[in-house]
Amino acid sequence: MKGAVSQIWAGLLSIVLGCVIILAAAGADAAESESVSNPAVTARLISAENGIAPDAASVSLGLALEYGEGWKGYWRTPGEVGLAPEINWSGSTNLKSAELLWPAPERFEAFGIENFGYSGQVVLPIRARLEDAGQPLELRARVSLLTCSTVCVPHDFELSLALPQGVGIDTNSARQIATYADRVPAVPENSDIRISVTALDARDSALIVVATSDTPFDEVDVFPEFGPLVTFGKPDIRLDRDKTELWAQIPINAWTEEHAEPSVTIADTARAITAPITLTSDPPAPPFSSANPRTSLLKVVAVAAIAFLGGLILNVMPCVLPVLSIKLTSVLKATGQTRQMTRNGFLFSALGVLAFVWALAAVLLFLQWIGVSVGWGMQFQNPVFVTLMFMVITVFAANLFGAFEITLPAALQDRLGASNARAGYISDFGTGLLAAILATPCSAPFLGTAITFALAGTSLDVIVIFTALGLGLALPYLVIAARPELVTRLPRPGRWMLLVRILLGGLLLATAAWLLFVLVGVAGGRAAAFITSLTAVFIVAASIPQANQWVRRAVLSACVFLAIFGAGLTSTPDRTTPGVDATSHWQDFEPLGIARRVSEGETVFVDVTADWCLTCKANKSLVLDRDPVRARLRGGSVIAMQADWTRPDDNIARFLERYDRYGIPFNIVFGPGSPSGIALPEILTPQAVLDALDTASVRSLVSE
Amino acid sequence: MDSKKRSTLLTIGAVIAGYAALRTVPSLLPEKLELEALDRPKGFRRFIAGETSGSFDAFVGLDSPDSVDVAARKAAAIERVSADICGALYGDLDMSNARIPLASFSDYYCPFCRVQTKSFADMTSKMPDQVAIAWHELPLLGDSSNLAAKAALAAKRQGAYVAFQERLMTSPFQATPEYLARLSEDLGVDGEQLVADMESPEVARELENSAALAQVFAFVGTPALVIGRTVVQGQVSDRMIRKIIDLEREEGWDLACVSA
Repeated sequence: MKGAVSQIWAGLLSIVLGCVIILAAAGADAAESESVSNPAVTARLISAENGIAPDAASVSLGLALEYGEGWKGYWRTPGEVGLAPEINWSGSTNLKSAELLWPAPERFEAFGIENFGYSGQVVLPIRARLEDAGQPLELRARVSLLTCSTVCVPHDFELSLALPQGVGIDTNSARQIATYADRVPAVPENSDIRISVTALDARDSALIVVATSDTPFDEVDVFPEFGPLVTFGKPDIRLDRDKTELWAQIPINAWTEEHAEPSVTIADTARAITAPITLTSDPPAPPFSSANPRTSLLKVVAVAAIAFLGGLILNVMPCVLPVLSIKLTSVLKATGQTRQMTRNGFLFSALGVLAFVWALAAVLLFLQWIGVSVGWGMQFQNPVFVTLMFMVITVFAANLFGAFEITLPAALQDRLGASNARAGYISDFGTGLLAAILATPCSAPFLGTAITFALAGTSLDVIVIFTALGLGLALPYLVIAARPELVTRLPRPGRWMLLVRILLGGLLLATAAWLLFVLVGVAGGRAAAFITSLTAVFIVAASIPQANQWVRRAVLSACVFLAIFGAGLTSTPDRTTPGVDATSHWQDFEPLGIARRVSEGETVFVDVTADWCLTCKANKSLVLDRDPVRARLRGGSVIAMQADWTRPDDNIARFLERYDRYGIPFNIVFGPGSPSGIALPEILTPQAVLDALDTASVRSLVSE
Repeated sequence: MDSKKRSTLLTIGAVIAGYAALRTVPSLLPEKLELEALDRPKGFRRFIAGETSGSFDAFVGLDSPDSVDVAARKAAAIERVSADICGALYGDLDMSNARIPLASFSDYYCPFCRVQTKSFADMTSKMPDQVAIAWHELPLLGDSSNLAAKAALAAKRQGAYVAFQERLMTSPFQATPEYLARLSEDLGVDGEQLVADMESPEVARELENSAALAQVFAFVGTPALVIGRTVVQGQVSDRMIRKIIDLEREEGWDLACVSA
């Protein structure tokens, strides 16, 4: 009965109060204290009830805070620095206890330091119990709280509020308190979020949290609390496909065994949970890729255009040049061909490019589906692949130098109806294929963007983007296919062709040498030597004209077979980091240490590179290893980290994925001015690197 | 298709233009060096850096209300530093070779203080013949920050102040005897001496002096900075700091000290 009465009262009051608020500021009866106001914060003490109802033993209060533009306040666990608000109630009468509740915080990065707290408006709900039920309450709250922007300003002020006997709800205040009370994380029993695993990784360098939820996670964040002595960096959060499972890796910046009772808070869009946790030492591996939002058709089209452009530019990158030389020789040979044959030949080359691109898309999708991290050019991490490429290119080079002529096996030629034209098409197709394969260790402008978009999207996105990329790469062939008469502009065959052949052979040899270098990186020196000798045997066997057909075939097959299996067997398990000597300014890659370094005010330059990445090599020799960039990286003011992705490495793959990259080169600069990092374009310029370093290390440009 | 191509091109163009504008425009706007003379202390002036420094109430700490004894000591400290502001600010810095003195007031628990401290440390090592820095501990952020400040000043007495600063930027300060013992070992200082110094009257006096200076200069929080005779509070770029240093050199920073 009492409830019903108070509800009616509440209804009436809400109307009356509404009017009062509209007409003027809240009247003298409104259940709130005077407000303390300065540029950083405006604070009031508010009460849901206008008075203490008869027999009421508790009352709902709130500390209403409104932070000024650019100012932040702190959560109960402020992070590495900062200070939680405190209220001292001494001097109040009829107050037995007052419990401050903490709405789920937001995460903000101040100068590279992770902090948790609030900005804009927040109400910290207070659950107050009375000494004598039903008696008036006089509150004197001495509030100390810290606000920070670029300056930290502490505040220490008193708010008072008297609640006489009476009934009635201050709807405005009640609503505000209720809104923020809803955001206070629930206890595990009342939440559909369950934290299943909390574990430390082997080196105590990160905390892994796994949680499940009945309803899908949305914008989720994870806040571990281990007392003031343990601090964390920015978490890497991943969701599974239907977003009901969460895996988070939170780097540890400072650790002590003597930490407080640990708990973890998971905050989602409209819900949160705080649960006490027990640590295990068996961290589960990262199971999911980070979820990306759906994309629109327009975006797909735009990115497809970018991919096309990227593919086109790839043609002038050094990787594809050797293949163009193969194509050129075939054109020179084919000057007697009909217009139609030339056209078809180039169409087949274009098809070869597309075939590889589609095959690559299919393999990437498959790998992604079975949960392997993928990327552009990653096949060069595989020794067997590099071995095959090395052999193919070396054999082509030997062919160009006139060691032997490549003829298709008789059986194949028979099956093709002994048609020279068709056999020619197959080699045209092969040329296109090779061009595409060799293009992968190069990255061109725009390419990274497109690949990233594709690999983060759906299978359809992958196919569309890769097709666009293939079309771009095949454009030169398509142009000639459309206007075959362009070929006739080439000069007549003659002695000069010999020169061209040697020149092009030299180019191929250079490519082979590079592949050998990659092989040393991927599989080790022993395997590289083994494969080089096999290739030599192969070429010698192929170029002895008198040899028995069957013996020759047996030797050639044995060479390929041995090379493929030998590459795996002879490869050395560990890579001794070449090039990184004691005097080098490059440090080992420690992704988990970056946040801590930045919080110490350091600037960190990360270069993800690999032996097989030609663009990386170009960046290194043209920009990174040359003054003024080299001087800057060595100057001591920048920590230069190099991540070598020549061989597969989960840490590096995850790091790339976190910045939405699936290919290299990848260069990023972290610093107090840019705690989330400034990613640099694939092709570096000294100015771009220096600008990024300046921006990252400048402390005054960022306020959050 | 044409319209799609066009819109794609337009989108790409707009993105590039927007990015370019974002990168270039802020650096094109010149930062103004505006100074405002202070009534108190005489001879000093304030750098006007946005709105952060104005319109706050007079400086308050997060301490409980002062006892009579504490209030008296604070008043004495204010009198002490007011008598020789420059001495209190810059202490016994070596001012030979036309070096400009810089007094940095900071707290280990204030985010921006870490950045500024690091930046100043870099500045002294880069141009040792142009600036000299006096470090003041101004612990405003509760007990931990107070203890960290005391430990820093105690470490200073054993010549390990900078090492201590660097250490505190790496790991949170812990006010336990074990932590202090480990810290001393890492810094290569005498642990017992460190603990004793933390509670010594000299350290207390140094903290009182810094707090009194903060009061005299009406700082609203940390970090705060005095370059020569220019008071800076709030966001300020390295470039502006250098500009102020140059200005102080041209005009003679010790004008304020002479008049005091």
